[in-house]
Amino acid sequence: MSEADMAIIKPEMMMKSYIWLETTDGSIQQVEQEIAMYCPMICHEVLQKGLGAGSSKNCAISLPQRVNPAMLSLILDYCRFHQVPGRSNKERKVHDEKFIRMDTKRLCELASAADSLQLKPLVDLSSRALARIIEGKTPEEIREIFHLPDDLTEEEKLEPLKNLMDDPRIRLLNRLYAKKRKELKEREKLKGKEVEERVDERSVDDLLSFINGKDHKVVKTSKSKKKNKKRKEHKNKVSHNLHSKQQGVQIVDETASSLGGVSNLLSMEEDIFSLKTDSEDGYVDDGMDPVLKEMLDREVEDFARRLNSSWVLSSGQERQPVHFSINGNGATRRLTAIDD
Amino acid sequence: MKTRIDDQSKPQTMIQEKYTKRYQNLKVAEALSNNHLYPFACNELSSIIDLGYSQLPKDLKAFIFRDCLSAFRLLPDMNTSAAVSAANLLVKSVESAFPKQKKNLAIVEFKQAKVALKRRTKSHDEHIDLPSLPQDILVHIFSFLDVYSLLSSSQVSRSWNQATSEGSLWRSLFDLHFSHKVSIHIHPGFDWREAFKNEYILYKSSKMLRSGRGYCSYCDSVVWHDNLRCPKKQCRLKSGKKPLDLMLTHQVVNYLLGTTSSSDESDSEDEAVRGLWAYPTLQ
Repeated sequence: MSEADMAIIKPEMMMKSYIWLETTDGSIQQVEQEIAMYCPMICHEVLQKGLGAGSSKNCAISLPQRVNPAMLSLILDYCRFHQVPGRSNKERKVHDEKFIRMDTKRLCELASAADSLQLKPLVDLSSRALARIIEGKTPEEIREIFHLPDDLTEEEKLEPLKNLMDDPRIRLLNRLYAKKRKELKEREKLKGKEVEERVDERSVDDLLSFINGKDHKVVKTSKSKKKNKKRKEHKNKVSHNLHSKQQGVQIVDETASSLGGVSNLLSMEEDIFSLKTDSEDGYVDDGMDPVLKEMLDREVEDFARRLNSSWVLSSGQERQPVHFSINGNGATRRLTAIDD
Repeated sequence: MKTRIDDQSKPQTMIQEKYTKRYQNLKVAEALSNNHLYPFACNELSSIIDLGYSQLPKDLKAFIFRDCLSAFRLLPDMNTSAAVSAANLLVKSVESAFPKQKKNLAIVEFKQAKVALKRRTKSHDEHIDLPSLPQDILVHIFSFLDVYSLLSSSQVSRSWNQATSEGSLWRSLFDLHFSHKVSIHIHPGFDWREAFKNEYILYKSSKMLRSGRGYCSYCDSVVWHDNLRCPKKQCRLKSGKKPLDLMLTHQVVNYLLGTTSSSDESDSEDEAVRGLWAYPTLQ
């Protein structure tokens, strides 16, 4: 054939040409090429394997697993509408909003299928729709809608929520310990030693559980499963107990009631926080100026002293006081409790 | 004599119109039909009723009544526990503030809604097996969520929990909420979720986000914020990355009524004190 003939024939062939697609269940169907080529994955297959691919039943393009026939026809409907160049943005938007109205199950399947065919606009559309379904619902409601199993343990659920609550005492402690940790790291860097991070994490929990008013033995070991379980349990209890401001106040009341120094404690914290909020906008977690640092150090000592005295009063001689080594060189000591 | 009466009544009607106009600009009614905003709108209605129903001009009282009715009528469509508790709160406000006739009408509407709700939840007994979504799709879906929905999602199941720990999600949330206030030093292995959590606590975000309201300086109005931005496109273009000034519910009520009532205490002890809240005296 001459080139001219080829030139005439080819476009005609293109316009009428079909592609054969095969889904994982074995069914093969014929689809107009230009519609199918709207899907990047199909397009790549055709280009990679040459024009022979998909040209007949025998060498049909096999589609990824997540594309079942029902989804395929949905997706092709979508492609059929959008591949027409002459449509306005508004038209497309209206079509999409109608198109996306389906039950959750089909939406999930659609998102999966579109993703495996790399059809990004449809992935976005279905993902947004699913996000709108999820929005504002409790975990239980979400599980019901999506028929998902409740396979998380209690503490895993609470992980991200822990400390996302507005309890100033926890905030204070976390900040102080974050500061300590940073100081530690810097000192260790100078000395060239390794820091044992776990030490610090544990002491936060211990302190929290002391505030909680829980009696428990804290032994200075580092690697036992029992320890981890206990830690998680206490974290649990802590977060349950500290779930609201009111309850948080009660806890402090419990431990410091004998002192009658609750108001002092609270006002001290308020001072710190008003100081913090007064600082400039470019405020970063631990970028505190030395004056503030000193204030905090003093406050930490104060706080520790109060805790110690309250514990001595409330629990007799069962415990040794909390040790905060502020200017010391080395790890912040953990709380040790020795039962007599 | 007649003209003098007219003169006296004119400023009154103008004042009435002012309040009514403000209320309409708040677009509470529109928010009620929006799945996401329904609880926020109900809470705002409750606050308005609690804080000053008796002082409202007649027209505005009628609007509030109408919106309460539609809130109850729309409740079955919402079908989330957040919506139900918001509606419950609204009913309490209605019970304590509305005059007898209106109160009874509203309560009837509410009871019908509850019945309709019960009917709907009963019809959900099918046990279908949904295909499990692949992780990267989950992450993509989560990228469209606000922080509370993301946290809810993290408690749903193991695979969802894993998807929510993706750093990019928390990074964009951090950018959205705090980038204009905080500069951050990033290092490899930086935990964006931790960073977000810390700033969230520091800036008392949970309190500020409770109302769903923000003030847009570009259109000079109180709006329902869309992910901390003004819903109007022109304002979004003008403001760039900067989020709205978030507002507390009582500030919105103050704007509506022209009052300057307190305060922080009322917000933190919200639910408990609501019924006992004494109406502030207007000067």
